[in-house]
Amino acid sequence: MQQFLNYLNSTQTPGETGNFAWATIYILIIFGGISVAVIAMNWLERKVLAHMQVRLGPMRVGPHGLLQPIADALKLLIKEDIMPAEADRLMFWMAPVIVVITAFTVFIVIPFGPTHAVTDMNIGVLFMLGVSSLGVLGIIMAGWASNSHYPLLGALRSSSQMVSYEIAMGMAVISAILMTTLTADGAGTLSMIQIVQAQDKQQMWFLFRMFPFGFLAFFIFAIAMVAETNRAPFDLPEAESELVAGFHTEYSGFRWSLFFLAEYAAMLAVSSIAVTLWMGGWMRPFSHWLAGDTWDAFFSFFPAATFFLLFVVALAGTVRMPKHAAFKIQKAGLGAFALVLGGIGVLLLIPPVKDRIQDIYWFVAKVSVFMYAYIWYRGTFPRYRFDQLMKLGWKVMIPVGIAVLIVVAAAPAFNFVW
Amino acid sequence: MTFKELTRKVLLLDLLQGLALTFRYQNPKEIYTEQYPLQRPRVAERYRGAPRLGVNAETNETLCIACDLCALACPEHLIVVTSERNPNTRRKELTTFTYDLSRCMFCGLCEDACPTDCLELTQDFELASYSREGMIWDRTTLERGPQPTKYER
Amino acid sequence: MADDTKSRTAHLDLDTPESQIETYMHRRAAPAREEETYLDANELVLNMGPQHPSTHGVLRVILKLDGEKVLGTECIIGYLHRGVEKIAENRTYTMFNPYVDRMDYVAAVSNGLGYCEAVEKLLNIEAPPRAQYIRVILAELNRLASHMLWLGTHALDIGAITPLFYTFRDREEILKIFEKYCGARLTTHAFRIGGCQYETYEGFEQDVIKFCKFVRPKIDEYETLLTTNRIWVERTRGVGVISAADAIDFGVTGPVLRASGVKWDLRKAQPYAAYKNFEFDIPIGQNGDTYDRYIVRIAEMHQSLRIIEQAVGAIPEGPIMGKVPKVMKPPVGEIYHSIEAPKGELGYFIVSDGSTQPYRVRVRPPSFVNLQALDKMVRGALVADVVAVIGTIDIVLGEVDR
Repeated sequence: MQQFLNYLNSTQTPGETGNFAWATIYILIIFGGISVAVIAMNWLERKVLAHMQVRLGPMRVGPHGLLQPIADALKLLIKEDIMPAEADRLMFWMAPVIVVITAFTVFIVIPFGPTHAVTDMNIGVLFMLGVSSLGVLGIIMAGWASNSHYPLLGALRSSSQMVSYEIAMGMAVISAILMTTLTADGAGTLSMIQIVQAQDKQQMWFLFRMFPFGFLAFFIFAIAMVAETNRAPFDLPEAESELVAGFHTEYSGFRWSLFFLAEYAAMLAVSSIAVTLWMGGWMRPFSHWLAGDTWDAFFSFFPAATFFLLFVVALAGTVRMPKHAAFKIQKAGLGAFALVLGGIGVLLLIPPVKDRIQDIYWFVAKVSVFMYAYIWYRGTFPRYRFDQLMKLGWKVMIPVGIAVLIVVAAAPAFNFVW
Repeated sequence: MTFKELTRKVLLLDLLQGLALTFRYQNPKEIYTEQYPLQRPRVAERYRGAPRLGVNAETNETLCIACDLCALACPEHLIVVTSERNPNTRRKELTTFTYDLSRCMFCGLCEDACPTDCLELTQDFELASYSREGMIWDRTTLERGPQPTKYER
Repeated sequence: MADDTKSRTAHLDLDTPESQIETYMHRRAAPAREEETYLDANELVLNMGPQHPSTHGVLRVILKLDGEKVLGTECIIGYLHRGVEKIAENRTYTMFNPYVDRMDYVAAVSNGLGYCEAVEKLLNIEAPPRAQYIRVILAELNRLASHMLWLGTHALDIGAITPLFYTFRDREEILKIFEKYCGARLTTHAFRIGGCQYETYEGFEQDVIKFCKFVRPKIDEYETLLTTNRIWVERTRGVGVISAADAIDFGVTGPVLRASGVKWDLRKAQPYAAYKNFEFDIPIGQNGDTYDRYIVRIAEMHQSLRIIEQAVGAIPEGPIMGKVPKVMKPPVGEIYHSIEAPKGELGYFIVSDGSTQPYRVRVRPPSFVNLQALDKMVRGALVADVVAVIGTIDIVLGEVDR
């Protein structure tokens, strides 16, 4: 028991110390956290997209539609389980499972803080690239097993799209890894935690390292990750107006919700990778520029401040609710929700919590910027055509990626690093 | 390609402009949706909605003279007017008037045809009914308007 | 190729019992010969519609694909057939008027205008000038509404979901003017034979002018989202090209024809209503591709605003209804009258036998004729282009099937 508690002061991840109990707890927390994030993301996407489109979005289930994703999830769970008569039953059953497993497995190596990762693999980046590319297998299986034309076309599009963009993605990732060698001892690393620590040591996010090449590599990754997760403007595999719903046309109910869960989990995963590789992972912004105890104290209030802001927004929403008998329960619910947010804010002010939550807070904040961008793209851009997508991938992204890689690899050899 | 176009293309200005536009529109003041049962839409004065038979406000007598012009004007032949001649005044008097709303396309031709401005299409636009029979309005419904079902706990 | 013709005729053969129709599904279940099995075929037959998100209603397109490349298409229409032309034979001239609104239901005013003018020509009467001006204003507002709906749905087909909501929001303002003027938003029944039934309401002119001022920046906003957007340009430029000669051969009219570079607009070529009094340009394109059709329609929206602004300041005083007999009995004869509807040439051919009901009414719907060019436009393109081209032709299935 003592050993169990001692872990809290350890400086290693549970995987490294072989602490099985804590690893299990971490896995459960991450699984729960991702599921909650997907639910929140579902609500946010509908709300933000609606506001971009001069609509209100969900408003009826719970105050401002806050309970809508839960209602939807319940609906999906109790729907009839339909399997097409001519479907390949085993593959049809396995496809969503594979997609979900791969999407969640990536999170094993993602560091939410110096010790907040399930494990710190010394080949973390390779593991992440390998596992996330397995997801395409599930999609192809789904398309094939449905035994229908639209899913088949969607699956084929998806496979070629993912394979092509993985190359560009790999080029960008390698240039980030090369940047980890730009230290005095020149030792590079593939471990996700050490990549962030390398950025800490070099006192600079890789985003700004060797400007603009670090930025270019990040930019290529940022585009490739949208394509990799099949989101607009690269959402060809599930292009609604062309292929009805692409590879998951024949899926419904719980199986479909697994695809949905996997899509959002994958979005979170690739965003986390981008944050880890280029945006300093758990480091707070300006951690070297605005260093010192005062600034540390100042930035440590951000988590609580965020929740207080949400508390104020929710409170304002409660006050502005229409004065109508039908809104009594909603008003109370939103008020209670505001209080919960405020309570969390107060909780985050308690010193031990305040210190420990820092890393996770900044990591989540950076990831949420990416999530917002995903919604934003979807609300703004038309969809690429299949051949144009391939053209962009092979004729623009990969050459630029290779060029960036060559510069990043060659510059240190001439002692020309900035 | 001119230099300007090239800069636009490399700096992704075309995409950023679109992004800026959608970002601006997130202002909640721009929301256009009406929350229908709470916010009642204000229909125009000339709106062609539920039909109504006018009655004389003082005597409570119908204004309809049973001339059958509306029934003749209706493209869907959904109005049926029956009348009988009053032996005392020797005038035609309205007995029944049925109007099948389920077939009505609210073209307003009956309204135009009515010589006494008795039949008119009003601003009432909520015409849902629980049954097909409920869509066939008789004379009382047309004169008083549909009476909502009252539910009690 | 023999295979091709077989499946083509199978759908049209009404005498064959359904069990004997050889469709793709039947062939697959029980292959007639060994070499006809599914696995050996290099053609993929994809059935798009009638329940598909982007066939604009109930159009059914059977695509023959090689991978994603389209080898041929076959349009199957009639899922929304209501027999409007037959209904006309059993209604008096006045009674048929509201039915024409239900053909192209997003441009009901134009439909009504065409029908009323055709019957007026048959009766040899003319609507008074005030009615003519009101007709022009409403018809042009309707053109804007139709183009806005087209833009929203077309952009949605290509994957941009946001313009749909902006266009619908602005179209709402037009519908409000319609509602205030004639009491209905969509199927307006705004005009009657011989003029207009309704006098303009108080504040009509101000409403229209206010709308024109309101909508100009909004059109610029749609352009910000689309015109220069590289994805939009790539998706539309060079897609669904139809040359001027081909367009004329197919009988294509409206913006689709003008985008191919043919300057043909019935408002200029055969001025009807009060159009000869107004100054406006006919925007034309050069390449006849989807991008040009988009540009032409956007330019037309600006031209419509120009016409509206000229007309609304110059509405003459006077009656709104011409001298029309109570019982309409046109002389024996026939008439063809066509107008420039938002989608192209909308023609009415009416045969009168001297009775109160037309002997025959035939409608020349622009959507139906334009749809014929679909196969020409998409052959050799990709599946995604089929959707874009269906959107750019701007079909309304109510009008195609009638």
